[in-house]
Amino acid sequence: MKSNHSSVIEFLFPFLTVAALWELTVRLHLVGMEMLPPPSLLISKLWTLTVRGVLLHHLGSSLYRLTIGYVLAVGLGIAVGALLASRRTLREMFAPVLSMLISVPTIAWVPVLLITMGLGDRTVVTAIFLGGFFAITYNTMRGIEMVNPGQLNAARIMGVGGWRLFVEVLLPASLVSIITGLRLGIGYSWRALVGGEMLSALVEWGIGKMVYQARFWNDVLVMLIGLLIIGFSGFLLDRVLLKWLEQETVEKWGMLAKR
Amino acid sequence: MEVFWRKRRSNNRTGSRWWLPLLPVVVFLAGWQLLSGVNLINPALFPPPTSIAGELVDLYSSGLPTRSLLLTHVMATLRRLIVAAAVGILSGTLVGALMGISRRLYRFLDPLITVLMPVPGIAMAPLFIVWLGFGDPTIIALGSIAAFFPLAYNTAAGVRSIDLQLVRAARMMGADKGTLLLDVYLPWAAGYVLVGIKLGLARCWRTIIAVEFIAAASWGLGYMIWDAAEYLRADVVYGGIFLLIAIYFVIEKGLINTLEKHTVERWGMVRRQ
Amino acid sequence: MSKAIIEIQDVHKIFDQGAAQVEALGGVSLDIREEEFTVLIGPSGCGKSTLLYLMAGFEQPTAGRILLDGVEIAGPGPDRGFVFQDYALFPWKTVLGNVMFGLVHNGWSKQEAREVAREYINLVHLSGFENAYPHTLSGGMKQRVGIARALAYNPKVLLMDEPFGALDAQTRKHMQRELVDIWDKTHKTVVFVTHSVIEAVFLADRIVVMTARPGTVKGIVNVDLSRPRDYTGEDYLTVRKQVLDLLEEEVEKEIRLQEKAI
Repeated sequence: MKSNHSSVIEFLFPFLTVAALWELTVRLHLVGMEMLPPPSLLISKLWTLTVRGVLLHHLGSSLYRLTIGYVLAVGLGIAVGALLASRRTLREMFAPVLSMLISVPTIAWVPVLLITMGLGDRTVVTAIFLGGFFAITYNTMRGIEMVNPGQLNAARIMGVGGWRLFVEVLLPASLVSIITGLRLGIGYSWRALVGGEMLSALVEWGIGKMVYQARFWNDVLVMLIGLLIIGFSGFLLDRVLLKWLEQETVEKWGMLAKR
Repeated sequence: MEVFWRKRRSNNRTGSRWWLPLLPVVVFLAGWQLLSGVNLINPALFPPPTSIAGELVDLYSSGLPTRSLLLTHVMATLRRLIVAAAVGILSGTLVGALMGISRRLYRFLDPLITVLMPVPGIAMAPLFIVWLGFGDPTIIALGSIAAFFPLAYNTAAGVRSIDLQLVRAARMMGADKGTLLLDVYLPWAAGYVLVGIKLGLARCWRTIIAVEFIAAASWGLGYMIWDAAEYLRADVVYGGIFLLIAIYFVIEKGLINTLEKHTVERWGMVRRQ
Repeated sequence: MSKAIIEIQDVHKIFDQGAAQVEALGGVSLDIREEEFTVLIGPSGCGKSTLLYLMAGFEQPTAGRILLDGVEIAGPGPDRGFVFQDYALFPWKTVLGNVMFGLVHNGWSKQEAREVAREYINLVHLSGFENAYPHTLSGGMKQRVGIARALAYNPKVLLMDEPFGALDAQTRKHMQRELVDIWDKTHKTVVFVTHSVIEAVFLADRIVVMTARPGTVKGIVNVDLSRPRDYTGEDYLTVRKQVLDLLEEEVEKEIRLQEKAI
């Protein structure tokens, strides 16, 4: 059984290799430093920005927007999804519409929002909300649809009905799909955040904005740092936060299909 | 709440109610048309569907007989999509297959892919604009990258998941390395590759549209929508979104479902959704 | 002869399957007697599970009534217990959580529920597994949890829908013996559906043989043997033959019906 240490090292190894090769290529003047700053420069700039609090400000603004938009998407998404799942007619009516709305690149909503909601925060948060909402609603609806009727009947015969049946049986039983929806949703929301910040002129702070603004000074260094942070945050949000949720619930309960 | 457990034995009934999914759309459009017409909602922000349709027709016919304005935009985007998807899918499948076969390669590339895959294409756009400038090269490059990742990831998963009994059976019957790759590994992984293609195509599409907002010089569906937004032409924006939905719908239903039908479904390896 | 706790009065059940209509039950009249172990047996498609579902209240009869203690059954409720063929345990609850579920939702305090649940877990010989999640258990163990869960809140009647159908032959035999053991201790009224004659003769006080679709009662065989029964004993085999005689004709009919449908 591998120790935690060796699996962490194994995970980092490719990155270290790539970073080393990268550093080498630049130092050997194979690529210009303005085109592709080496990792060493990256780290020092990263440090400067962090110390000056600039990075934190950008990151904080982004996370603030993400939280508002995503939490709204989760709350409304699960509620609407459950509502649609409760009647076959509703399901048949809205499932195709929903899946078509999911196929729209989330960023495409931003121009509409810019025109109707202005160029500031509200647009970005709404885009984040829309990104998550459709995916969560759709997956919640499908999840509830697919619940084993035996489990519902088992609870019914014990006299459980109505709201209690929904919260204590229906929701846990559809958790696998709901979590899938949450993971898809956070991906779309995250991308909506970055894209929305880039496209909304009145937004000053935000990790997406940081990358976008760097273009005006051709500051590849800041762009790369921004990308690193975007990638890392996206990774944390999905693979760490939601994966943790998955592990503590459906994986523990053996509800995931065998890989 | 009681409605949740009504037994779903008569799912066959959906055939006779094909019009149900259209209902919300029709009601929505009709309501929009009405409210906009009587100025209950601002027609500058929410132009009635009829005027949107009219604008689309105008865009289509302007520029004819040499070339339709609208079609030029659409074609530009589709061209980029085809090239980027092809590059991304082919390279992704190849790399994924190699990863599937070589444990060492897998262990090296998997962490990189895991971390890089969630980076949005649009975030990389400013960087690529510095490197490759505006227009096609940047757009296609980012589209390819977007398609590459799901393909590599899924193909690797597919090849790795092969039931060893099948490999043993094939080798028993005298299969050599080439036959094994093409006639055993690849068909087995086909299901996974197909899912990867679905995902890769979707990501490629979304990335191309998004990048067009920022990096397109003068043509492209994304460019058209963005440009319209800057001039507050809400009708063109909505029309553009409609086109986005329609085009992707055709792509998905047409291309992918036919592909599925002729390969994986015939072999009983995947259930119809 | 004990009184009838469930009265099934000329019950018909028709299902809509797309364009066609399926008549699952074509007029069933039957009494289930208190503290008796009644087994419903018949060819597949004869409606025995449907009848059980009607008694559970998961479905309503198209015509006729079913009375429990003189009151018509309107829906599912804790005066009955149900054991499912695929266990239907809640995967997100431990064994203890599952067995406590019916208690907690019917007025027992958490403390009391826990104690009672433990008793029933003991009854089905699963002590020590209270904190296990269902997916870690074997099929037999899962079903024992199902039985404990259904019995824990002391329903008047226990309904069992081919509970051992998903188990392998050895486990099945073992579970049959366990069930007899449990029944000896509790003397619940049980309605048990199966299509195994061996199982029926081993478990039942009365075996109700049903006809092919549309299902009706073909005949009733009383089993007066003392438990536990010997699978190879002469009396056992006699009863078995009685049931088989009634059953075989119906199984033939059912197979021919199915062939016609293809």
